[in-house]
Amino acid sequence: MSQCNLGEPWRVQMNADIAAAAKEHPEIEVIFKDAQNDTLKQRAHVEELASAKVDVLFVSPKEAQPLTEPIGKAFDAGIPVLVLDRAVLGERYTTFIGADNKKIGRAAGEWIKKVLGGKGKVVELKGLMTSTPGQDRSAGFREAIAGSEIEIAFEADMKWLEPEARKEMDSALARLPKIDLVYAHNDPGAHGAYLAARAAGREKEMKFVGIDALPHEGVSYVEQGILDATFQYPTGGREAVETALRILKGEPVPKTITLGSRRFTKEDVKKGGEIIE
Amino acid sequence: MSETPQSLETPAPRSPGKPGAWHHASLARALFSLALVLALGVLFPAEGAFFRLGTHQGALRQASVVGILACGLLPVILAGGIDLSVGSVLGLSAVVAAKLSIHAGEPAWLSVLLVLGMGAACGAASGSVVAFARVQPFVATLAMMVFARGLAKTTSGGTKVATAVPGPDGVLRYVEVPPLFRALDAQVLGGHVAAVTLVFLAIAAIVGVVCARHRLGRYLYAVGGNEEAARLSGVPVRATKILAYVISGVCAAAAGICQAAQEQQGDPEAGVTYELTAIAMVVIGGTSLKGGRGGMGLTLLGVLTIGYLDKILSINAVPEASRLMLTGAIVIVAAVAQKNT
Repeated sequence: MSQCNLGEPWRVQMNADIAAAAKEHPEIEVIFKDAQNDTLKQRAHVEELASAKVDVLFVSPKEAQPLTEPIGKAFDAGIPVLVLDRAVLGERYTTFIGADNKKIGRAAGEWIKKVLGGKGKVVELKGLMTSTPGQDRSAGFREAIAGSEIEIAFEADMKWLEPEARKEMDSALARLPKIDLVYAHNDPGAHGAYLAARAAGREKEMKFVGIDALPHEGVSYVEQGILDATFQYPTGGREAVETALRILKGEPVPKTITLGSRRFTKEDVKKGGEIIE
Repeated sequence: MSETPQSLETPAPRSPGKPGAWHHASLARALFSLALVLALGVLFPAEGAFFRLGTHQGALRQASVVGILACGLLPVILAGGIDLSVGSVLGLSAVVAAKLSIHAGEPAWLSVLLVLGMGAACGAASGSVVAFARVQPFVATLAMMVFARGLAKTTSGGTKVATAVPGPDGVLRYVEVPPLFRALDAQVLGGHVAAVTLVFLAIAAIVGVVCARHRLGRYLYAVGGNEEAARLSGVPVRATKILAYVISGVCAAAAGICQAAQEQQGDPEAGVTYELTAIAMVVIGGTSLKGGRGGMGLTLLGVLTIGYLDKILSINAVPEASRLMLTGAIVIVAAVAQKNT
């Protein structure tokens, strides 16, 4: 398993999910490599694992272009390659497993439209807008609420960071006398917004919605009543191990597996959330 | 509060130049930068948000954590050094404080003492490398910056140390943040001032008095003004440098505790690039990066200037890209204003 970096909690979770799923199958062993966000280091890791003739290669690439060639070479050498989360160019891999940020943003937008009854003032705390997940989570959301009377009354880039989210939310609170809901592109952002609203004594006035639903983060916030909903951005770790097992058994596998997402709200969080289409 | 030593009881060289005249000119320029930023707020009040009390309380609260870092950097910069590690030490401290008090359930006062001690140790390590091994401060503290960030990630396992604690069975259970953390995140004095702002002001007062009135302060100016002359006049140059970095490390640890209390978690990524903002605060205030000139009063003006600029851009919902350019432009204007001092 070549992971592009372990600086992001979500990627730590992906490795943990792979390790947990692999533990249930004593016949497989997973070797983890962390490229520390360095494209060339990841390229070396892929080549190293390929020349060690591993049975299945998992790669969550940092960037498409520079990793297409080493991944393709491993694939050409007969090693099944599962590409996780971020895609590579062309067709020289076995299966791509990933989630669709735009779809998740749209699902969040649909749910928000429903709970607000189609109208209200919303604050959007965006992830880093130079990153594709930020752009997609925003675009999907806006698509879903288009045509309704929901107004994005304040929007800011919080760069995926909780302190930034709290700061921007402070400003939204200073400007807007009434806020119905905060949509943050990740759970730390929603949590930061909640802390800002609570400090201003206004947390009861509005709902808080986040994305990612890591067990110790978003899901825990929903259970504690801090967030009203979080939408899972699945890591695909378990699916990757299951697909690898099918490959090892000689079964056919699809070229692309788009991961479904779950919605966690106060009502269903104890039951493990609700699957969204 | 005096910005430069007025009298010397021990034989130590005076700081170069004319302290009185320099001080007034520099103060005027720092005030000019702050006025410039406040004028922006008056021109773009964001539907009146700028004129509301809450906005100003928020600006002070948000500037406090980086402000604490700036307070710690001041003695280092006065002594002619620099400390790039403060943001990383902040992150490490946030993680360790959360690990001890949220996950391990140790009393908060104990975690505060241990974390402050750890910050002092980080500072002492950087300071010793600078003073004894004669490694350039930039390099020595760059090494500490990378090392402390790595240690923060190792200690936390790469994830945030939050209120969901995994038990031995792997099942998550939820724990309360210690009361001390809650208190640090509260509004005090009738709900008007954030507790972290008081912490910041208290630290500023202590470091300010040390720099302006204490013998160590005179040594700092002397070492930063002319190290060789200071050594010849009997100033303990090495001890002075090490103590400056220890103050910086302790302040970074205090800032980390405040950050963890406000986030209710220890984030191993906390404080990334904060060192640059803190250095900008000290320099915009008019403290010279060459050492030997500056003071706490000016640093406070620098903290307010950057803090208000941040707040004004935020309440106006200025897009991130334009914010970066505007901040760069204002820093240049402030730096040019300070240049001839």
